[in-house]
Amino acid sequence: MKKAIELTVNGDCHGVLVSPNNTLLEVLRDKLGLLGTKRGCDLGACGACTVLVDGEPYLSCLMLALDAVGKDILTIEGLAEGGELHPLQRAFIEKGALQCGFCTPGMILTAKAVLAEDKRPTAEAVKQKLAGNLCRCTGYKKILEAVLSVAGDHKEA
Amino acid sequence: MRLPKFAYAEPEDIPAAIAMLQREPSAKILAGGTDLLVNMKHKVETPPLLVNIKRIAGLSYLNKDSGHLRLGALTTLKEIAAAPLVGEKLPALAQAAAAVGSYHHQVMGTLAGNICQQNRCKYFNQSQWWRSSRPNCFKAGGEMCYVLNKKEVCFSCYSGDLAPALLALGARVVLAGPEKAREIALADLFTGEGKHPLTRQPEEILTEIVIPEEALAGASGYVKFANRESIDFPIVGVAFWAAAQAKEYRVAFTAVDRKPIRGRQVEAFLRGKDLNAEILNQAAVLAAKEASPVKSSLYSPAYKRRLMGLLLHNAVDKALGRSGK
Repeated sequence: MKKAIELTVNGDCHGVLVSPNNTLLEVLRDKLGLLGTKRGCDLGACGACTVLVDGEPYLSCLMLALDAVGKDILTIEGLAEGGELHPLQRAFIEKGALQCGFCTPGMILTAKAVLAEDKRPTAEAVKQKLAGNLCRCTGYKKILEAVLSVAGDHKEA
Repeated sequence: MRLPKFAYAEPEDIPAAIAMLQREPSAKILAGGTDLLVNMKHKVETPPLLVNIKRIAGLSYLNKDSGHLRLGALTTLKEIAAAPLVGEKLPALAQAAAAVGSYHHQVMGTLAGNICQQNRCKYFNQSQWWRSSRPNCFKAGGEMCYVLNKKEVCFSCYSGDLAPALLALGARVVLAGPEKAREIALADLFTGEGKHPLTRQPEEILTEIVIPEEALAGASGYVKFANRESIDFPIVGVAFWAAAQAKEYRVAFTAVDRKPIRGRQVEAFLRGKDLNAEILNQAAVLAAKEASPVKSSLYSPAYKRRLMGLLLHNAVDKALGRSGK
C-alpha cells in the first residue's frame, strides 16, 4: 500500500508516494532525482549513501523512507549556499581529495557532521569517524588533509 | 537491493506496540535497522509486519536510579560511547559501543537492537543469489545446517559487541509484555540455540537495561578482534570486569558460540588471585576451553580458541590500565 508522505530534503518540503519497503536512498534518487547520494553496496557497509538526518550521518540505504518523515534531511545537493560551495567542498577540490568522486558526497557529509560536533577534531577522531566511508581510489590521506584544513579554518571562528 | 514487501506500523506507545505484536506474532521490531534491514535485503528475514518503535517517546535515556544505571532501549550506541558516566564508570560498555560497525552504525544503532541482533553465519548472511546454489540452510528456512552437515540444528554464532560487556557487568534487562513487565538477567535472554537465539516472546519488547551499582565501582574493559577495525563484526570479543575491593572477576566472550557466554572456569580460577603475567597465561589456556566454536565464519575454531586466551590477557590489561604487550 502506497502512502503519501512529506519529506524535508535540503530545506524543501517534497510530497512523495512511497511504499513501506522504499528506503530513503531509493526515494532520494529515484523519486526526487537527487542523484548526488550514491548507491554503493546498498547494505550499509560502504557509506556512499550517507545523508545527514537532523545533522547526524545516516546510511540512507538502511533507513525506511517512512521513518524519515518529520526529519530534516540534508544531501550533498543542499550543501552549497547561494551558488557558493561549502568550505568542505572547496577543500576537497583544492586538496585533490577526490578522484572518481563516488564516495565524495558521503565523505563530505560525514565530515560535516564530525566538524559540527567538534570544530577542531584530532586527525585520529576524523579517521575513526570517516572509517565507514570507503574510497576505492585510495585517496584517504588527501581526504583527511582536506577535512583537517577546514577544521583549521574554523579555529578563529 | 529491494527490501521485500511488508506492512508497516508506528505505534505511539508500548501497549500499542505490544498489541500489534500480539496480533501478528511473526512481526519484527524495527529500531536502528542496521541489522534487520540488511537481513531483509538478503531475504533471510521476511516479516509480514515491521513495528517501528522509534516514534515511542521516552525510550532513550541514561539514568542513575538508587545506584543502578538504567539505560533506555533506544539509547544509541553513539550516545553510550560518548556518555561521560559510561566512559568513566563502565569503560567496557563504552569501548564495546565504540567498537560496533562504523560511526554511522553507532549513530543509527540502538542498545537493545544491538543486544537482540540476529545470529550470524557464513551460510546465512548471504544474498539470495549466493544462497540459491543449494537449498536454504536450516536458519534460512531449509533443513540442513551446512556448518555441521546435520539436519534441523543451527550453529550460527552470536556476534554482538555489547552483550559480552553487559554480561561481564552483570546487567539485567526489562521485557515489557501484555502482562506485567519482567526483569531477567541478561544471560537468560539468550537461548543458546542458533535458529531462535532469544528467549524474548514474540509479543515482548526489550525496554530497559539495568546495570547494578557494584558494576559501576569496578574496573572493566572490552577487546574486539576483527578483520577490519572500521566495520566488521568481531572474530572474537572479550569483556573483563574486576570488582573494586575483592579479587572477584567476571569474563565474557562473544562470537565463539550460539550465544554470548561467561567464562565460568576462568572466573573460578582467577578468584582471589593477583593478575600477574603467569596467572594470566594459565587463564588463557582455560579461556580457550570455555567454548567450542564451529566453523560458522571464515575463521577456524582453533584460531578463535587461541584468540580467546590472548584477548583475555589484553582485556585485563585494558581494564586495569596497564600498557599490555
